[in-house]
Amino acid sequence: MVLLLDTTEEKIGSEVLRECGLNKKEEVELIDTTEMNISNCNGCNFCWLKTPGECTLKDDYEPILKKISSADQVWLISDTKFGFISYKAKNIVDRISPIITTFLHYNNKKARHIMRYDRTPDLGVIYSGEGNDEFLNRWCDRLASDLGSSSRGAYGREKIKEAVSCM
Amino acid sequence: MHVVVINASPRVRKYSNTDKIMISFCRGLIRRGASFEKHAISERKYWGVIRQAFLDNDEIVFAVPLYAEAVPGLMLEFLETLPKKDNRTRVSFILQGGFAEGCRLRCGEELLRDLTKYLGVSYGGCLVKGDNFSIRLREGECLDRIIKPYEKMGELFANGDGFRFNQAKKFTGPEIYSTPVRIATDVVFKTVAKRTMIKMAEAAFGCTTPLDYKPWAQNSYELDSAISQNEQFFTLKKKYNM
Ligand SMILES: Cc1cc2nc3c(=O)[nH]c(=O)nc-3n(C[C@H](O)[C@H](O)[C@H](O)COP(=O)(O)O)c2cc1C
Repeated sequence: MVLLLDTTEEKIGSEVLRECGLNKKEEVELIDTTEMNISNCNGCNFCWLKTPGECTLKDDYEPILKKISSADQVWLISDTKFGFISYKAKNIVDRISPIITTFLHYNNKKARHIMRYDRTPDLGVIYSGEGNDEFLNRWCDRLASDLGSSSRGAYGREKIKEAVSCM
Repeated sequence: MHVVVINASPRVRKYSNTDKIMISFCRGLIRRGASFEKHAISERKYWGVIRQAFLDNDEIVFAVPLYAEAVPGLMLEFLETLPKKDNRTRVSFILQGGFAEGCRLRCGEELLRDLTKYLGVSYGGCLVKGDNFSIRLREGECLDRIIKPYEKMGELFANGDGFRFNQAKKFTGPEIYSTPVRIATDVVFKTVAKRTMIKMAEAAFGCTTPLDYKPWAQNSYELDSAISQNEQFFTLKKKYNM
């Protein structure tokens, strides 16, 4: 399943979904998070050390994380600020710790946390506005590699077609 | 010199690793005759006060924990509320994270450097060091050993060149571990570090659930593996008398 998480003010997730339809992509799910109440990760670490696998913040995030934990790909659709994704999109990313464990191993020459579930989705970014494309690609690569998955790349809004072709 | 030091972690001050690092850094500052004020963005009610301090001063240090290869979402939100300033204000950074090798912090460092352009201020450099995850689980001498080196960095910062001095570069430690060190670290991860985590979780948080428990087992295979993990965990606990 390809999971699209829209955090943009203009809700450009629907444009992405339309493009997916035109390309007959199956099993795409769009979640519009813009009206949801999703707070920032407060770094309590309880999801690792107190209630393993469970976030103590009870807001609208948990159903999204459940979807993330079983998706093949997650695409973050974000406005940009400081050339980077918005804080709203970053909060969604920061809150994924419950699907990661505190345990570590070296895997392919890189220290990584052992993932809690058997699979981890690939990551992609679609951004609207003045993003630093090179940096966003670098960041997405690094994050996916931390999770032991692959990056599908970061694409500006004008490249939605290209992004969809990589799904 | 008066330095405004801002903790950009969302973690409350009492449990924040960054806070402990800042305390040590600030000790160094005062030893060299500089003064400082310490702030933390974890409580939103102080954001107005911090903004004013940012506006009124020209030597700012953000102390930042790496969150998902970048700065925490909360810091991005706070930065959006800052007024524009000019390059008479210098912003420097202390970037710290959980993973030890220097290369793990470079992506975050790039983001911080670029941030100063968007804020319109001048960049005073970035003090980069990882291997700090366990600060929150340590106390006494053990804690002092980890945070003490930041005191020296505070002293050197008071010279007035931001973090643009040689010792700041060296402070990061190895950029990447050599193969033997990697292999040894992997063994530590899988034995001592693993047991310590389990012990700490129980001692500090009363947690008796296996730390790799899967609350959302999605099929019978995952359910089986969750159950066997559970059994393994209790065998391990017995074995190590925990
Ligand atoms: C949500 C989250 C994401 C993190 N991501 C990273 C990371 O990508 N790389 C890293 O080295 N450390 C990472 N860490 C570890 C923290 O940077 C580290 O524990 C730091 O010392 C926390 O400082 P604080 O207690 O002041 O928040 C992460 C921690 C949290 C809670």
